Amino acid sequence: MLAAAGADIDALREIEAWARRAVVVPDGAQIVDAHVHLGIDRDGHALAAADLVADMDANGIAASVAFPADEPGMDGDFREANSRVADAAVAYPGRIIPFCRIDPTLPIGRVLADADTTGVRGVKLHPVAQRFHPEGDECVRVVREATDRGWPVLFHAGFGARPLGDAFARLIDQVPDARLILAHGGRGDHRALAAATAGHPGVLFDSSIAALPDLVTLAPERIVFGSDRPYGDHAQALHLVGVAARVAGWDDTAMRGVLGETLLKWIGPVGS
Amino acid sequence: MDRTGGVVNRADAIRVVALTAQAEMALVRRDEVSGALLAQAARAAEGTSAAAVLAEAGRLMRAAPKQEAVRQAALSLCRMGLREAEAVALRET
Repeated sequence: MLAAAGADIDALREIEAWARRAVVVPDGAQIVDAHVHLGIDRDGHALAAADLVADMDANGIAASVAFPADEPGMDGDFREANSRVADAAVAYPGRIIPFCRIDPTLPIGRVLADADTTGVRGVKLHPVAQRFHPEGDECVRVVREATDRGWPVLFHAGFGARPLGDAFARLIDQVPDARLILAHGGRGDHRALAAATAGHPGVLFDSSIAALPDLVTLAPERIVFGSDRPYGDHAQALHLVGVAARVAGWDDTAMRGVLGETLLKWIGPVGS
Repeated sequence: MDRTGGVVNRADAIRVVALTAQAEMALVRRDEVSGALLAQAARAAEGTSAAAVLAEAGRLMRAAPKQEAVRQAALSLCRMGLREAEAVALRET
């Protein structure tokens, strides 16, 4: 497709190789992507499981946490899309780790019942797309349900207009043992978020489409690698953590944590 | 992001960061101005490690500005260029 558009494919391949060289993967490190959407978003972005796994193979990524794109379906509750992600995890055992996407503004009983029987290992919430507040009662209820099941909750956290620091602080106050992954490094309100969540070991930031100045101010123990496929891509996602490591001076131990170890401590081992 | 035969200072890096950040948002919003912003950013980054990716992004957008695959590839390149420039701005004293 790019060749047909007149792109210089050799130049693009060279750039891709350069981007991969930017990240120095320590010996034995396992790369696990915390943030991938499967399915067809209503804005047109799409990713099929087979294409994801092919890209993971090409980029040395062992496993990916996956959840539906913004594809709520006829009932609006993501049941069909969640089911397709669960099927993808069965088709690619150990490579795709299913999280379920939930709209807290709708009844959640059926979605959670599905999740309880399909091997789901976490929840994805998107306050902007589904129009709810992280600190609101509906969302707190979902986070509490997930926490009771031992699941982390990955929140879209960036690019919106609302301030996020106080919102997530209030959520944590209500569910203090929750484990939260705040996507995109909290881009857009990072300083407030980082301050509000400092001292909470149950809060991590994913690196997907994050801002470099935000990532390098965080302790690497608070960062997990993410790509946000198909809105982001693996090459630039790996390039970002490579540049962050260079600027912040992360050592091999820190890099192993960012690339996968920290996330695996939360979601358990992967591998077929 | 060392310039060939020269030195990149913080002002240079900030200029590239500003232009590239504008181009990134223009690409996200599918704004027609993105090609022009990428061209400006690539010129500002000339001789640095950000230049090649920004120049390629601009070339892509000029060749096929309406194609979604092209926009996504250009966005990826633009983001890599932005990080290279940000890295210099963060390290310079």
